[in-house]
Amino acid sequence: MGSDGTAAKQKILRALENADTNVSFDDVLEHDMVLNMGPQHPATHGVLRLLLRLDGETIVSAVPDLGYLHRGYEKIAENCTFHEFIPHTDRLDYLSPLANNVAYVLAVEKLAGIEATRRTQYIRVICAELARLASHLVWLGTMAMDVGAVTVLLWGFREREKIQDIWDVLTGVRFTTSFTRIGGLAQDLTPECSAMVTSFLDQFADNLNECEKILVRNRIFVERCEGIGVITKDQALQYGITGPILRACGVEHDLRRDAPYLVYPELDFHVPVYHDCDVLARFYVRVQEMKESVKILRQALAKLPEGPVNAGDPKKVLPKKEHTYGRMEELIHDFMIINFGINPPIGEIYHAVEGSKGELGFYIVSHGEGHPWRLKIRSPSFVNLQPLPVMMKGGMISDVVAIIGSIDPVMGEADK
Amino acid sequence: MDNPPSTSKSMTPDSQPPIIHKKDLSFLDRIYIPQIVNGLRITITQIFRPKFTRQYPEERWTPPPSFRGRPVLVEQNGVERCVACGLCARVCPALAIEVQGSETELLKERYPVKFEINMLRCIFCGFCEEACPEEAIVMSQEYELTFTSQDDAVFGKEKLLMSVEKLRDRLEFLRKNR
Repeated sequence: MGSDGTAAKQKILRALENADTNVSFDDVLEHDMVLNMGPQHPATHGVLRLLLRLDGETIVSAVPDLGYLHRGYEKIAENCTFHEFIPHTDRLDYLSPLANNVAYVLAVEKLAGIEATRRTQYIRVICAELARLASHLVWLGTMAMDVGAVTVLLWGFREREKIQDIWDVLTGVRFTTSFTRIGGLAQDLTPECSAMVTSFLDQFADNLNECEKILVRNRIFVERCEGIGVITKDQALQYGITGPILRACGVEHDLRRDAPYLVYPELDFHVPVYHDCDVLARFYVRVQEMKESVKILRQALAKLPEGPVNAGDPKKVLPKKEHTYGRMEELIHDFMIINFGINPPIGEIYHAVEGSKGELGFYIVSHGEGHPWRLKIRSPSFVNLQPLPVMMKGGMISDVVAIIGSIDPVMGEADK
Repeated sequence: MDNPPSTSKSMTPDSQPPIIHKKDLSFLDRIYIPQIVNGLRITITQIFRPKFTRQYPEERWTPPPSFRGRPVLVEQNGVERCVACGLCARVCPALAIEVQGSETELLKERYPVKFEINMLRCIFCGFCEEACPEEAIVMSQEYELTFTSQDDAVFGKEKLLMSVEKLRDRLEFLRKNR
């Protein structure tokens, strides 16, 4: 064909070229790429969206984008009586609904000046610790799966299933428990149910050890977790992180011990603390916490006192059902509490408990009416997600899933 | 108090195991072959372990008496116990219940002309049962609910009424534990 044909082709191409079509890279890696991870990514544990700026596979910066599960619970609370808001707390941290129920009613009781009976306090400890176990089991499974170990996911969910069977007998449902009441509980812990908890605990330690054993000496697991997602102790404190992540940074902070509520001072437990600040340390903290929860549960079951479940405050605590059917006074109280609420005194309080993710607090402002004037939820997942950019910077894309898994965010709680 | 609070504040870790870092892994752990063999061993032993799952549609689950299934109206001697006080509708956090009352010649004087629960809104919290001063609305043991349209999901009195004999377990449980 000769050079004429080539020259003609070049001429046509030159004519087509302009600024829009002519894209060329001298060095591909000098341009960062922005990657959207989520909100529908399986590794982001819900509807967390991450904007990652990547240089090759290295993360230059990361921005978490929240709010996809926002339901306006703080505003809803202003239009509910204190009693009516209890089912909404199930849906905050939906992996440990019982712990949220306990945290909320403790805050309301503090505001209204009610003290729950000893038996109720013990049952609430049992509830909170079962919820911690259930939540950590999901974390154990999902985090192990994020770094490639699917077996542990199924084992974790198998154990969680047994806890949910206990909840079924204890509260009436497996998931959205709505179990606690202001000044008491929906129903008593039956002997049958405490036997279920005991038999669960008897086999749980072995099964947890099995899960742990399969991971701790696994080279892939250790290599994917060690030195990843590091946040220093000072940074962790600055960001206000609480819970297992803080304890993995070497800060001994556990509200169960440092700001005791319920009957925790009477129970003997150890707060596990590690100093490595990375994903692996968080794994160790949570696994040790589960073992401590087993210890707490055994003690609480052994010490569980007999007695009434509901506090004797007829203006604020719902009466016993059989009295409602037969007596005028109780019937009136039933109507008044349901219709107009418990009317706590004017004031504001903050009460926090050590949830499975960290400090779960409720800040309530009351104007003396049946509903809160303002209710602020200090959710640990929301606060713990803040330092995500710090943890991720300089890491690889594959580390992102391990880091999110180690934070264990529940978006129902983060977005409220 | 059986234990003084100081025991719970023990700082020294008694059983806290040290972290196994990469450098602590033995040669066998590093070459990974024993891990693979162990994985196969787990898979094979699982075959002989009892099954944990349930073959659902064939194998049904019987709920315990504490179970909160769909709310129903208690029917005694052919009429509902409900006196249409509206307390369940007031307490319902999901606003699923609608009650319209009227007067009757019966001893209870009032009865619901219309009692509807929107089962798409119901969250099975059991607050209606707890608030009811007549033991007229209780949570049944039924948990299988299917609808083909939104209108089907609004249960009127004809779907909600359930005879007191069928609810004996639940009523006994409530009298004992509430």
